[in-house]
Amino acid sequence: MSGSFEIEIEALERSPDRPERYCEAFVTLFPVSGASVSTVGQLLGSETLAASDALSARIDELQFDLGEGPCWDAVRSARPVLAPALHVSGPKKWPAFTQSAVQDGIGSVFAFPLIVGPLRFGAVDMYSAAPVRLSSTQTRQAGAMADVISRHVLRRALSAIGEDPDEGISAFSRRLIHQATGVVLASIDISAEDARLVIQGHAFAAGKPMMTVAQDILDGRLRFVRDGDRIEVAE
Amino acid sequence: MNDTAQRELLQTFVRLADTLVDDYDVVDLLQVLVDACRDLLDTTAAGILLADSRGELEVVASTSEASRLVELMQLSAEAGPCIESFRSGRRVSVPDIQHTDDAWTQFRDAALAHGFRSVDALPLRLRDMTIGTLNLMREEPGAAAEEDIIAAQAFADVATIGILHERSIRESSVLSEQLQAALNSRIVIEQAKGVVSHTRGVSIDEAFLLIRQYARSHSMGLSVVAARLVDRSLRL
Repeated sequence: MSGSFEIEIEALERSPDRPERYCEAFVTLFPVSGASVSTVGQLLGSETLAASDALSARIDELQFDLGEGPCWDAVRSARPVLAPALHVSGPKKWPAFTQSAVQDGIGSVFAFPLIVGPLRFGAVDMYSAAPVRLSSTQTRQAGAMADVISRHVLRRALSAIGEDPDEGISAFSRRLIHQATGVVLASIDISAEDARLVIQGHAFAAGKPMMTVAQDILDGRLRFVRDGDRIEVAE
Repeated sequence: MNDTAQRELLQTFVRLADTLVDDYDVVDLLQVLVDACRDLLDTTAAGILLADSRGELEVVASTSEASRLVELMQLSAEAGPCIESFRSGRRVSVPDIQHTDDAWTQFRDAALAHGFRSVDALPLRLRDMTIGTLNLMREEPGAAAEEDIIAAQAFADVATIGILHERSIRESSVLSEQLQAALNSRIVIEQAKGVVSHTRGVSIDEAFLLIRQYARSHSMGLSVVAARLVDRSLRL
């Protein structure tokens, strides 16, 4: 079992530009009926990027329309949201969503947030018709897979809007961006690659050039801080 | 150039020749070269710029990491002696920065504001190809001493050889890859400056000095120390 997790996550890492493959790994590894990947919230808008079946897509749509559901909570809390027995835990948290979902024959729902540093922008949703539980190992594995997808999704979204960080930036500005990348990676303990994505994503969210955000970081006007396992922006 | 200076110059070349025989860190080597220009020649500040894959010149080593100096050299690489030397593959001498072409206004103003009055840009050349430039800035106006220029061109040639022969990053005969490797080490050094500036609560310039000190006192390459700071296997 652990062998196949390694294979699946590696395949995911190699498929940044094939969103249609994002869900496969979840359906293969876990006892679920379907999975979907969607962006949620202000940063990238709410949209389903991939769904393994029609019901998965419907679960996303329900949550977007109702403005409630596990994927919203996952994005807000930056943590996995597990509802192995939806009819028990759901009515209180998401009354409208639970009613529709249970009617559609859904027993369990699991949502894993898409996060890079302080940026929270989507979720992987899984459902099962029959109520099932995810073991703690499976929960950890799903989280790791969602992390891989997070980077793919953010990178693709940023390149789709033509935010090529190296275009039209002088060599001197690039230097500042590299320095700011160092500050960010040290302050929240992430990889250099992620730190750069965080700067780029933050620039996009704030509607500012990357260079300005880099300067703000170097001057201490913009800071990223770690709060437990979450990362927050301090301005 | 007096006798002492000449002896020191010879010693520097011997040390450089020794370096090139061993495994070496290309950024370290370039740093030694710009420092030697400042210490042994009549020059206030020196910097080496390399062209990236798009032909844009980037500072890879300079005698001061003060951002104003780096910025000045970048201006020279946009419209100034540096880019002209790179394009022509020849030495470009500006004995008086005050009297330069209007096309160089930005460079001229920044240089004068910095207290520089004259500059020489020398090409880093391999046969008919130019891969970057060595820039020497002086606070006094006037032409540089010819023997200084000869020594500086020799330094520039050593830099070229050093960059093209660096073996640490895969054995590769592709020129652009070797150039890119040198530029990439610079990226990691910039990132490391950011890391140390955060962990030690110091300015970016001070951070560079700390990294250099650590590399020297542990006999490690600057790029190696920087890479380890960035992947967090080393804390400073």
